[in-house]
Amino acid sequence: MEKSIIRLQDVWKTYQMGKVEVPAVRGISLEIFPGTFVSIMGPSGSGKSTLLNMIGCLDFPSKGKIFLDGQDTSILSESQLAQARGQKIGFIFQQFNLLQHLTALENVMLPMVFQGQEEEQRKARARYLLDLVGLGDRVDHLPSELSGGQRQRVAIARAFANKPQLVIADEPTGNLDSHSGQKIMDILVQFHKEQKGTIVVVTHDSIIANYSQKIFHIIDGQIVQNHKQSEQTIWKQ
Amino acid sequence: MEAIKEYFKLAIKNLKTRRLRSWLTILGIVVGIFLVITLISLSGGIKNTILKQLNALGGDIIFVMPGAIDNPLTTFMGGQMLSEEDIQTVKKTKGVEVALPMSQKSQLMRYNNEQKTIFLTGFPWDEGKDFLSNFQGWNLSEGTWPSPGKRELLLGSLVAEKDFFSKRIKVGDTVTVNGKSFKVVGILNSIGNKGDDTSVYLDREVFQQITGDREGGALAIMVKAEEGVSPDELAARIKSELDEVRKRRRGEDVSDFSVLTSEKMGSIAGGVLGVIQAAVMLFAAISILVGGLGIMNTMFTSVRERTKEIGVLKAIGAKNSAVISIFLIESGILGLIGGAGGVIFGLIVAKLIEGYSRASGAFLLEAYMPASLIIFGLFFSFLIGCLSGYLPARKAAKLRPTEALRSYE
Repeated sequence: MEKSIIRLQDVWKTYQMGKVEVPAVRGISLEIFPGTFVSIMGPSGSGKSTLLNMIGCLDFPSKGKIFLDGQDTSILSESQLAQARGQKIGFIFQQFNLLQHLTALENVMLPMVFQGQEEEQRKARARYLLDLVGLGDRVDHLPSELSGGQRQRVAIARAFANKPQLVIADEPTGNLDSHSGQKIMDILVQFHKEQKGTIVVVTHDSIIANYSQKIFHIIDGQIVQNHKQSEQTIWKQ
Repeated sequence: MEAIKEYFKLAIKNLKTRRLRSWLTILGIVVGIFLVITLISLSGGIKNTILKQLNALGGDIIFVMPGAIDNPLTTFMGGQMLSEEDIQTVKKTKGVEVALPMSQKSQLMRYNNEQKTIFLTGFPWDEGKDFLSNFQGWNLSEGTWPSPGKRELLLGSLVAEKDFFSKRIKVGDTVTVNGKSFKVVGILNSIGNKGDDTSVYLDREVFQQITGDREGGALAIMVKAEEGVSPDELAARIKSELDEVRKRRRGEDVSDFSVLTSEKMGSIAGGVLGVIQAAVMLFAAISILVGGLGIMNTMFTSVRERTKEIGVLKAIGAKNSAVISIFLIESGILGLIGGAGGVIFGLIVAKLIEGYSRASGAFLLEAYMPASLIIFGLFFSFLIGCLSGYLPARKAAKLRPTEALRSYE
């Protein structure tokens, strides 16, 4: 059997809200294989972002285990986890989350700094990626000098900086108009094809979902069905 | 190393985006380090000056003064004197080569229809001339030494100058002291302190005649030991001889005098200066502490403002150590720049005070500024920056990425 990039095994996540414990994720098991494009869908408050954070190893489960590239993450130290995350996982956020006082180029170079890469190497890779997302002429602009769509393209370039095995995107088009959103999706799809990467997207967007090879539907912290693309229409009603 | 360089760039960018706050924080450190550097430089300078003067006295001079040393002020304020018998006793003590009694009174001096107050100081010139020029480093800028028994005056350097009397006094001029006229025969080069330089010197016998001080009290006796006699032993011997005199004459067994070697005087002066320096350092330390708290405050605010940014850094692979490094570098830079500013201002002010002291002639003060003081200032302020940045940095590093990312911008 093919080795999964990320595997969740009966994962629970409970938040403490005052005195009440609120379970956000309730016993989810799933596996994501290399080269797949996966969507996670569900209404707000369903726990999909929490699930995504755990897939991205940003958060620890309250119960259950997460295996990143076959490695049990619960036994890693915080620093080891940060290192693994920086190396193997790229993040794209709804809010872009670029560093405001760094230029586009510097933002894309940053993940490579934490992996200890040489400056020349970093610069070359960052320029290449910014070219790919169509911002080759904007490398020295600050985020505040870029449009929302352009910022998200910088964020995508940053996510791919360390050639991650897994790229995670939390509603990447949620803050963009439909035209920019379309462009972002085109780029993601293009990356998926060209870099042979694995992409996990949380989205409300049916177009993205349509492109996905696999969709997880989350309601009340549980996976309801493993829809194949063909079954998607039923869900949409 | 490569990473540290990048963290440095990040830290500097962060500081630049909060320019005003960074400068205000730096100012807090500047004030603290400025105080420390100025105070160390000046108190070190004072210490050096005093030690230099004591050294100029010669290592084996012994001072006999009225009043017990536990209250040195009585020596000059209380008007106590050493009697003629004391002087003779000291002179006869075994091992004494020269014993030079000194008398002093403030007197009015008239010159060119002007009247000024001066210290009139009497030494026996026959013995005094060699003693003062050999062991005290006195020398004449013009004229000659007064002859014993004659109404001749030797002027301290400041008395002769134009600022003192409106007309400059020259050798050969006649002045009036206490109604008696004197001939000015010599003018001294500056001795280095205002008290000595505004004195007028004459033979002690003449001093006694014109002040009516026939009892012959002395304000102090300077003693030079014979070759091969240890000053400490001689001081002890003089003390026991003087105690004898008091017992025989008055039946007293209280020592109302002090016998000090110049070494002992040095250690007393050093002790007093040490206390002053310690007090000064305490206040300076408090002001640096306040500066450090300023850095801590700035860094905590910065961590709170940048919570989301820290979340992003951790998400894209920054280890805790990287986050700590970035914040420590930031606070270290704040401290270091503050320290550099403080050192520069401190040295400038110390130099200004030195210049002022030269110009006024009130006291001779050389600012003490060795390279080690500058290095200490810079290193110390960097350390303060790092120390006060540590808690905020640790707080930043401990943020959970998901919680940090969830925070509002």
